[in-house]
Amino acid sequence: MGSKKKHSELAKREERTAYKLLIPALVILLVIAIYPLGQVFYTSFTNRQFASSQETEFVGVDNYKSLLSMTVQKLEQEVDPDTNQPLFDEEGNPVYERPIAVLPREPIRYREYKQFSLFGNSYVLGATDVDFIDAIFNTLLFTVSSVVLELTLGLGIALVVHSNFKGRGATRTAMLIPWAVITVVSARMWEWMLAPNRTGFFNTLLDAMGTGNGRIAFLASSDLQLWAMVAVDVWKTTPFMALLLLAGMQTIPDELYEAAAIDGASPVKQFFSITFPLLKPAMAVALIFRTLDALRVFDVFQVLLGQSQYSMATYNYFQLIGNRNMGLASAIGVVIFIIIFGFAIGYIKMLGVDMDETA
Amino acid sequence: MKQPKKVKNVILKTGFYFILLMIFIYLLFPFYWAINSSLKSEAQLQMTPATMVPRDPATNSISPYLSNYKVIFQNQQFVRGLMNSTIVATSTTVLALVAGSFAAFALGKLRFRGKKPTLYMILAMTMFPQVTVLAGLYAVITTLQLPAITSMILSYMIFTLPFTTWVLTAFFKDLPLALLESAQVDGATPFQTFYKILLPLTAPAMVTTGLLAFIAAWNEYLFALTFTSIDPGARTVPVAIAYFTGAVARQEPFGEIMAAAVVVTVPIVVLVLVFQKRIVAGLTAGAVKG
Repeated sequence: MGSKKKHSELAKREERTAYKLLIPALVILLVIAIYPLGQVFYTSFTNRQFASSQETEFVGVDNYKSLLSMTVQKLEQEVDPDTNQPLFDEEGNPVYERPIAVLPREPIRYREYKQFSLFGNSYVLGATDVDFIDAIFNTLLFTVSSVVLELTLGLGIALVVHSNFKGRGATRTAMLIPWAVITVVSARMWEWMLAPNRTGFFNTLLDAMGTGNGRIAFLASSDLQLWAMVAVDVWKTTPFMALLLLAGMQTIPDELYEAAAIDGASPVKQFFSITFPLLKPAMAVALIFRTLDALRVFDVFQVLLGQSQYSMATYNYFQLIGNRNMGLASAIGVVIFIIIFGFAIGYIKMLGVDMDETA
Repeated sequence: MKQPKKVKNVILKTGFYFILLMIFIYLLFPFYWAINSSLKSEAQLQMTPATMVPRDPATNSISPYLSNYKVIFQNQQFVRGLMNSTIVATSTTVLALVAGSFAAFALGKLRFRGKKPTLYMILAMTMFPQVTVLAGLYAVITTLQLPAITSMILSYMIFTLPFTTWVLTAFFKDLPLALLESAQVDGATPFQTFYKILLPLTAPAMVTTGLLAFIAAWNEYLFALTFTSIDPGARTVPVAIAYFTGAVARQEPFGEIMAAAVVVTVPIVVLVLVFQKRIVAGLTAGAVKG
């Protein structure tokens, strides 16, 4: 080997080359991700309007307050002014005062979000931005339901495809098709299948099966909207989940199953004592990816529901482009970031994903 | 003893193939329905109950209607969308592969200080939620007065560049060091080693990651919708399809929308079928390893 000096010079040259090679990627990421992220954090504390001559002012946490403030107020039973007795309606139910009477108006106006009863008392839950609170709730419910369904269905499909049979290749191919369809396109395909009369496939099918009246408004009724979103998302992403799980299953050595079969373990027992535990890492990764992806859902909500129900991302878009309210939109971005970050940390802690092992 | 076992086997097999059939129907039916509807005229689309194949409203005989496909290619928005998408997705892919393979070579094969933090940053970026920077990115783009097409190409780096870098780093890492060392002994510079030896060896990995980057860019909607909001001429396919309106603005022309859906999906499906094995490998490398 050469002298020590020569060696360290080589090492230095190598290091310089490495930095040069990294420059393009790092500059791009700095300009399009890191700087805008900083900008979003900063702007979220201002009242910046897009394309407006209004002076931008620093407003502290006002944007966050107007997005997230919530309050619970007790609703008192109305009192009959003549008799001074508590008031009941014709069916004997107590009449409560109207939420608008108890919800604070200053400094920010609260609107009614939900009414509920607890221990015989009636309460109203008020929020300053009902749409955003709804958007958070919608997104969380959407995420949990679709990820659970995708994991279950994906696991089922992966198990079926993992067994040996004729046409296995064709099945794997078919699995890639929903994945390959553009999300917006799949949303419009489902929009047409979910049409609110019997020109749509689902109304025709349900009607032929004798349920439904052939006029179910899947996309307009507030009870069904969210589940329609889940259905579209599950169709599109289950195959991806199945492929990830299938890849995980293929790393489990066949000898384990052979040994288990010799010991007389049933296929169900084999699944729970071999497949499931050994598949855990693959499942954990698939779960993280899908959850973080679902939390930022935009395409399906935007195309199918527009402004009738929001996800966090579509509400952000609406405030930015529809209302040109850059300060508020930035604050929404930060809230989404924190929620997603929280989920990521939670998963990593809970599932004990070892970053070093994957790197 | 033998007879019942055989019966049991037949039942199990039938059950298995039944489940398989259900999976096939579930995966493929929505796409079939799009093809079916794309072959229907407005009158056929309005038939109730909806028919499984295009049928003549009067005689009920099978009669596919092809005009939807003709009409969409006369639709300026859609044709421009196809062009814009092709430009955006191709440029995104090339840029992500070039910048990504440079970075990946450094990360996978060279020794330098700060390698681990860089790797972690790239990995964290693969999960970066695009929507959070929407407002900031929009501000950057309007300040720099970038045209919509350029804005899309640049902003798509957020999800393509970390991914290509990450996957290619794994591929570079697995390449034998001996090759590199022998090149160095022969007096090749690291740049020469990269171009003459590593690049040809990693061509398969490039195709895979490039394809995945292309599909991701072809699919993108949030940035495309935002950045083309003041420049409808730059709309890409997903935006064009979301805004699709017919010649007659009476109601949404679902026959044409479904024809457009089929037209933009078929090339991707063909690509996917041709490169099936590579795509699955790339997807699982990106995710299982990531």
